[in-house]
Amino acid sequence: MISPTLFLWMLIVLSILLAFIFVVRPSVTTTRGGKILAFVVLFILPVLCAAMGTSQHIENSKQTKFCLSCHIMEPYGKSLLVDDPSYLAAAHYQNHRVPPEQACYTCHTDYTLYGDVHSKLRGLRHVYINYLSKPAQPIRLYSAYNNRECLHCHLGARSFEQGAVHNVDPATLPAIKANQLSCLSSGCHATVHNVEQLNNVKFWKAAQ
Amino acid sequence: MKLNAKPLERRLQLAGILIILSLLVEVFSLLWNRPLAFLAYIAAGGFLLSAGVLVYLYSLVTFNTSEPSTPDQTRP
Repeated sequence: MISPTLFLWMLIVLSILLAFIFVVRPSVTTTRGGKILAFVVLFILPVLCAAMGTSQHIENSKQTKFCLSCHIMEPYGKSLLVDDPSYLAAAHYQNHRVPPEQACYTCHTDYTLYGDVHSKLRGLRHVYINYLSKPAQPIRLYSAYNNRECLHCHLGARSFEQGAVHNVDPATLPAIKANQLSCLSSGCHATVHNVEQLNNVKFWKAAQ
Repeated sequence: MKLNAKPLERRLQLAGILIILSLLVEVFSLLWNRPLAFLAYIAAGGFLLSAGVLVYLYSLVTFNTSEPSTPDQTRP
């Protein structure tokens, strides 16, 4: 079975080779077959390559290494390797509670109908600010972290639903589910990346 | 490369060149895999591809059947 990526590469190479025919011998379009070939090569194939290329770019942009390719994100990448289970991002990354190759995207996308689109628009805003403006120091989220992103995985999980702390007060669990009590800023899971503390922590040696 | 003297063929050559360039931009952007590569793909690749396809479509709608060209060999 050919992977979509390999198929895209093959399609691009084929399109370049076929388009080259029309550059060196445009007279092939004088035949009916040549006209049909021209329509396929100069219209159908490029549009298909563009659509598949855009899809591939969107997939690539979900990768952890893509997010960390910006210098400003390096400390956040480093925080994924902190050897301390109280560091939320590190614990999720190291224990594969999120796919390691899509760690940033998994926690920082919106799990809504247009969540992917919003994430990509935010990504374009990041690029604009990074290259044409001045990023805030320290970096802050544009809006408060929504519990919905945590509950996408944790809702219904035994450790969440029957967790001792979550059930001490019967009002706690409904408040978390209604996003009235933040998982993070309520103080319960407040240590997320904490990049300002990276000089004072140990790192997971197996990953270094 | 010298462009053909006939207007239709010259436009097809131009469309081919633009589309090849757009595909090369796509190859480069997919290999680089950075945020700036995505922007280059959207801006440069998108522009070249649109221009190539539009030149091709323009050559179709402005094609004059009375324009002298090689006879169709496949037809009787």
